[in-house]
Amino acid sequence: MALLANKRPATFAERLSDPGWRNRCLRNVIVPWLFILPLLLIHVVVVAVPAVQGVYMSLTDWTGFREANFIGLENYRVLFFEDEAFAEGIRNNLSWMSFFLTVPFILALFCSSVLAQIKRFGMVYRSLLFIPYVLASVVTATIWRNLLSPRKGIGAALADIGIAGLDIPWLGRQETALMSIAFIDNWHFWGFLMILFLAAMQAIPPALYDAAKIDGANRWQEWRHVTLPGIRPIVLFMFMMVAIWSFLAWDYIWILTQGGPAGSSDVIATHLYRNAFLRSLSGYGAAQGVVISIFAGFIIMIFVMLRRRGWDI
Amino acid sequence: MKQFKILFSIAMLFLAISSAGAQDVTTVTMWYPDGSSAECRADIIAEGFNAIDPAVHLDIVLQANTWDATRVAVVGGGGPDIVRTPGPSFVYEMASSGLILPLDSFADEMGWRDTFFPWALDLGLVDGELYSLSDELETLIMYYNKTLFAANGWTPPETMDELIALAEEIEAAGVTVFSHGNADWRPTNEWFVGEFMTQIAGPHNVYKALTGQIPWTDESMVEAMETLDMMMERGWFGGGVDFYVTNTFDTNLAALGSGEAAMNIEGTWRFGNINDFFGEAADNDNEWDWVSVPSKTGEDLFTIGMGNTSSINASSAHPQEAAQVLTYYFSPEVQAELLAACGKGPAPVHLAEDAMTDIDPRIARAYADLSAANADDRYGYTTWTFWPPRSDVYIYEEIERVWYDEITVMEYLEGLDELFAEELAAGDIPPIPAR
Repeated sequence: MALLANKRPATFAERLSDPGWRNRCLRNVIVPWLFILPLLLIHVVVVAVPAVQGVYMSLTDWTGFREANFIGLENYRVLFFEDEAFAEGIRNNLSWMSFFLTVPFILALFCSSVLAQIKRFGMVYRSLLFIPYVLASVVTATIWRNLLSPRKGIGAALADIGIAGLDIPWLGRQETALMSIAFIDNWHFWGFLMILFLAAMQAIPPALYDAAKIDGANRWQEWRHVTLPGIRPIVLFMFMMVAIWSFLAWDYIWILTQGGPAGSSDVIATHLYRNAFLRSLSGYGAAQGVVISIFAGFIIMIFVMLRRRGWDI
Repeated sequence: MKQFKILFSIAMLFLAISSAGAQDVTTVTMWYPDGSSAECRADIIAEGFNAIDPAVHLDIVLQANTWDATRVAVVGGGGPDIVRTPGPSFVYEMASSGLILPLDSFADEMGWRDTFFPWALDLGLVDGELYSLSDELETLIMYYNKTLFAANGWTPPETMDELIALAEEIEAAGVTVFSHGNADWRPTNEWFVGEFMTQIAGPHNVYKALTGQIPWTDESMVEAMETLDMMMERGWFGGGVDFYVTNTFDTNLAALGSGEAAMNIEGTWRFGNINDFFGEAADNDNEWDWVSVPSKTGEDLFTIGMGNTSSINASSAHPQEAAQVLTYYFSPEVQAELLAACGKGPAPVHLAEDAMTDIDPRIARAYADLSAANADDRYGYTTWTFWPPRSDVYIYEEIERVWYDEITVMEYLEGLDELFAEELAAGDIPPIPAR
């Protein structure tokens, strides 16, 4: 019995009277929390509280000015069952996502693999390809609007020297507007991916390449069996991030077409902005914001599940 | 230590002087949209006002997207003392939410009822109380390349039929009929919708539709929109709808100035920089002039628009001083100076007879004709001033579906009618002066 009594867990009061326990607790629990507290407070104020408010506002008829009245799920009903523009926005978002999960990844993987081999002027090439990423979206958009102009852009210049066919209003045709904007956004974006992949490639131990060479692997086999597995975590992570970012696409579209012509480049975010700020339907806009968050959560959930199944993400 | 004491004393003295100064001077803040002539305007307004009364200081902050910033700040209980909105339809929401102050007592005290045209003050009424003062009276007119017209023997049209006949001639000559485009500003579309409604359906029918007496699907509205659609379909607007949506303002005006295009329906705000595209400044020998947009009947009709409004923030600590600023800003003298120096459209106030003597006679004629049209019941309505927000957005976004043959004119007008009816029932329509 005495032995059992000795094994009885210490009560909180007993632990508190133990100076060693108090010091350990202070060092391992309280101090770390004190360090993180300011950041946590800021996060609560600028992220958590507005997020909760946003969810509540999505259940109201708030105009952005007047008092909000609770209307339950009415905004969501209209959004999913009546709003054709929203459905069109989702379709365009999915096209946008398909583009950004393929084109920039292929470009970035190819160029980073090539640049990883280049020793001379390697930094110059990397810098040149990365520069578009640091340009402001409004600058990039304005440059490309002029370059794609059917009257004074590249197409018009080529037509002047006898190469016709490219002097078309890329941003003015419903069938080409969205993908033209995606092309412009990608011009700005893919250099960022390339630099990330390049950094990941440079972290692969050279011994693995040496071993592959001894085994008689050619360049493709080296890339396939050493480089790609080495950078897979960052590639998959960026896959997730790009998928989420695809639902936040707004700036290039708004600057270049504002969702036009005739809604052909409208995405959820442009629709949200229009409702919240131009139509004075802020509650309805908040509902769209919540839907975007749910989409993002869904994408994260897929990646979490894959990770649990052993994927190296 | 001695050095520290000296520095400390100087710092305390400086603090005492600055805080004493701060107690004496009341600062009134105003956020002003950044734009081509913004600095010119801000300098005239701030320097002029600050020279009058040292006890009140006007601080003008220039910023892009002023309205987005203002509405967020004001709804959050902050923002500038003087609240500027893009038009009367936005005032209604702010007034009914108690975010801006009623101005009736200031209007009586400071003589605003004598300064403004009565119909213009009425635009600021919400439930019978004055909440805003309208600014930048504007209208749409038809600019044309006078030199090009003279060289081809064309004369400016007076009726819509004459305009259509002339457009066919211009097209046959290989010249773009209208240098139009919306790449910089998608709401450009609404200029033409509102203008064609007034010029073809007639201002009285537009008034009836705005007050719910006739539907937007009225035969006269259908005719107006079909004429607009016909012009777009024939490529008269900037070379066709595909090109129209990619043409920027600079492209449009350069084409008009060089003679690649013959005409341009645009606002009087363009007076501010149209000379940059003609004559020596643009390295050509061309001249511009304007006529009123041709109407169906041949009568000179002018749509009325207000560029923005000014109100006083309900959370302002200095409403009386803010009212003093408004009194100064809207005085006929300051408005005349802003027009002459910066090309700003004047507020709808009684300008002095000699206010227009120093400005381009073409510009003076525009404001004189607009004033006469108001007096003679020949005025129409711009969509951004008289339509409620949701209908307004619908007008300029959905018309593209007509132009791209996704919907018919009738379907477009039915959609507008349905939305407008909702906003009319909710009381969201800006004040429409009785005629």
